[in-house]
Amino acid sequence: MTNTETALKEAVAIEGAVGAALVDYTSGMALGTIGGGKDFDLNVAAAGNTDVVRAKVRTMEHLGLKDEIEDILITLGGQYHLIRLLKNRSGAGLFLYLALQKDRANLAMARHQLKRIEDSLEV
Amino acid sequence: MTSAAVAVSPMLARLADEGATGVLVRDHGVLYLADGQVVHAESPAAPGIDVLLTAGGRIARTGWDEAVQRAGARREVGRFLVESGQLADGELEICHLGALHDAAYFTLAPTGGPTRFRYGVAHWLGRVRPVAAAEVAREARRRRALLDAVWPYPEIDSAPVLPAVLPGSPVAAPRQRALLALADGARTPAVIARLLGRPAFHTLLDVRRMAAAGLVETPSEPAAQPTARLPGWVAAFPDDPDIALLRRLRDALEANL
Repeated sequence: MTNTETALKEAVAIEGAVGAALVDYTSGMALGTIGGGKDFDLNVAAAGNTDVVRAKVRTMEHLGLKDEIEDILITLGGQYHLIRLLKNRSGAGLFLYLALQKDRANLAMARHQLKRIEDSLEV
Repeated sequence: MTSAAVAVSPMLARLADEGATGVLVRDHGVLYLADGQVVHAESPAAPGIDVLLTAGGRIARTGWDEAVQRAGARREVGRFLVESGQLADGELEICHLGALHDAAYFTLAPTGGPTRFRYGVAHWLGRVRPVAAAEVAREARRRRALLDAVWPYPEIDSAPVLPAVLPGSPVAAPRQRALLALADGARTPAVIARLLGRPAFHTLLDVRRMAAAGLVETPSEPAAQPTARLPGWVAAFPDDPDIALLRRLRDALEANL
C-alpha cells in the first residue's frame, strides 16, 4: 500500500527519469508531480498529455476496438515520454506520466517498473 | 481573470504566509486551512467526498457513516477509512484531492460577495494531504481558463442540460453517454454530477465539450438557477465573534452587579 508521494518518488527513481506526474485525465490536473524544472513544467505536460490520452481513447472507440490502453510511448530525439493509464476502482481516469532521458534509460525496464508502481498504488 | 478572482488571492496568500489555521468562507463554498495550507474544501455546488466514494459504490454508505460516527469527533475520519481497510492510502488521497480542488474551484469563483476567515476551525475529515494555497488558487484559475477554451459560454454551467439532436453530430464518449442518460431537461450539471458521483467540474467540462460538439444545447440566456450558494447562516458569521460574546458577557455581569 503506497501513497501518491511514495509512488512518484519511486517513479522518478527509475533509471534515466527526469520527471513524473500523476494526472487526472478528465480535468487535466496533476495530482502530484516530482522532478521537472524550469525548462520542463510538469503541470503543463500533465494538461497537454491529457489531450493525447483522450484522443487515443476516442480513436479506439471510432475503430470499435474493445480493448484498454495499458501505456502510450512517445519517443523524442533525446527523451522517452511514457504514459501509463491506471485501472482504478473509483472510476476516475488517471495516468502516470514519466519523462526519461533516452541515453540513460532502459525502456523495457522502465515500463516494467511503472507497472509495478501502479500495482502498489492500489487506486 | 477578473478582478474578483484576483481579489481573493491576496487574502488567501496572506493567510498562507502567516500559517493560519481556520476556515475561509465565500459565497459559493469554504476552504479549510491548517498551518497556511489548504487541507479541505466544501461547496454546495460540488459533491462531497462522501458522495464521490459512495455513489459509485466504492465504499458502502454504512461504512462511511460508521467512520464519521467513530472518528468524526477526533477529526480522523480519513485515517479511520484507511485503517479499517475500506480504502487504500493512495485511493483516499486521490479522491480527497479531487474533492478538494472541485469545491475550491467554486469557492474561489469570481463573485461580489465578501471573503471571511474564522480562525481555529478544523474539519472532521482530518489531514489527508495538504496542498499549498497558491497551488489551489492556480488550479482554480487553470480550470476556469480550460472551460472557456473549450466552449466560452458560462451560462451553460448552471442551466438544465438539454441534449441536442443534430444531424451529423459525433457520438458521445461512454462517460458522456452516462451523463446524457440523466439529462431530463430539468437536471443541471451539478445535480447530474451528484447522481453519478463525479466531481462537478468534470461534469461541467463534459457538458461544455458536448455543447462544443453540438451534442448539448447552449442556452441563449443566463440561467435562472445560479450556482448554489452557502446558506446565509453559514456565510454571515460576525467578523469578530469574540466581541459579540464579550459584550453579552459584560451585559450579563452588569445586570447582576
